[in-house]
Amino acid sequence: MRYIEWIVMFAVAGLGIALANFVGFDVGFLDSLPGILILLGISLVAVMISKIVPLKLPIVAYCSILGLLVACPVSPVREGVIEAVNKINFTAPLTMVGAFAGISISDQIKSFLKQGWKMIIVGVLVMTGTFLGSVLIAQLVLSLTNAI
Amino acid sequence: MKKETFIYPSFKARMKNEYRIILAAFLFIVIADFIGQIEVPVGPGKLILFPIFYALILGIISGPEILKFFKTKEVKAASGLVIVAICPFIAKLGINAGASLETVISAGPALLLQEIGNLGTIFLALPFALLLGMKREAIGATHSINRESNLALVTNMFGPDSPETRGSLSIYVVGGMVGTIYFGFLATMTAAIGFFHPYALGMASGVGAGILMASSVASLTAVYPDMAAQISALASTSETISGLTGIYVAIFVGIPLTKKLYEVLEPRFAKLRHEPSEVLTRRQNEEKGKVEEA
Repeated sequence: MRYIEWIVMFAVAGLGIALANFVGFDVGFLDSLPGILILLGISLVAVMISKIVPLKLPIVAYCSILGLLVACPVSPVREGVIEAVNKINFTAPLTMVGAFAGISISDQIKSFLKQGWKMIIVGVLVMTGTFLGSVLIAQLVLSLTNAI
Repeated sequence: MKKETFIYPSFKARMKNEYRIILAAFLFIVIADFIGQIEVPVGPGKLILFPIFYALILGIISGPEILKFFKTKEVKAASGLVIVAICPFIAKLGINAGASLETVISAGPALLLQEIGNLGTIFLALPFALLLGMKREAIGATHSINRESNLALVTNMFGPDSPETRGSLSIYVVGGMVGTIYFGFLATMTAAIGFFHPYALGMASGVGAGILMASSVASLTAVYPDMAAQISALASTSETISGLTGIYVAIFVGIPLTKKLYEVLEPRFAKLRHEPSEVLTRRQNEEKGKVEEA
């Protein structure tokens, strides 16, 4: 994607977040704006890094690391960033993700129904096993290291 | 540096193809967030429905197989837009992680080691898949949570027409359709057992699939509102680690381990089901081949 495509699409995503934050949580557009600009700024820098750095990491990995850096205790902008972004409710950015994700799998319904009940059971067990395996080890290690 | 290839000849071409998707997404947001969060008690836990689910369902039904509002080329375009929309969300989670850095650091050893737990799918799902009569497709199906990168890897390793790839693709489709809702439900049900610390549940949510993690964390923060910041911080850190290491874990551990277990377990389950064993038949054929060569 060209930069102009990223920028306009991020602006669209920002509008989506503002809309969800307003309809779902009564937070006005102007109150959401600083937080949204920070999130979009981080996302755009992440895109730039992924275009420049030859290392093939997913863009979301850069988003996550950059977010952590701007909000970590040594960051000079920490307080302002955290305060602004806290105005964006946790699920507000997700509604648009759901809309796009739904459209993107909308041509798989027939294929899904053809899988039959066995594959659906196995799929549910795959997710269950992945989650339970992690939570068991996490609980064990957290207790052993006295982190909880 | 390799020159980037673009899907669209120009920015205008992209907008022309995608404006309907964007307008629909805004409409879905208004509808979905107007409905808001709904909690349904189920047994000891609860199923918490979030606007993301309604938007997902609205998206699915508006596609070419039901309401036919979107054409196939728009469906393809939408999967690119998922990445755009999820970037600011992941940035927000990164900020949460930075804000709760102490919690993240004190949970460091647990965060790293629990990644191994993602292999739990193999031990739980593979035996059941074999019990249900699946053969080599079980290897692709159960080696990992089977999101995009895993599907690409399995296709690459076993070939596009292999049973392994069929299995991986099946779970990819099933995960896309039911995963978002099920994963959140799974998290609240596990929380309802009361044994696991919310931190452990938070980090288990990061499995290398952003939308599943989001669903699980949204549910967990609704159950433990006081620990919302720490839960999402741990989940996002775990998700980032999974995103970075997932593919290597699958290549060097997940797939070899699943194959090995399959070779051991498949003959036993075949016997249990009174069916010929795929592994034993293959070995016999290989033996015969060797004898004939000699």
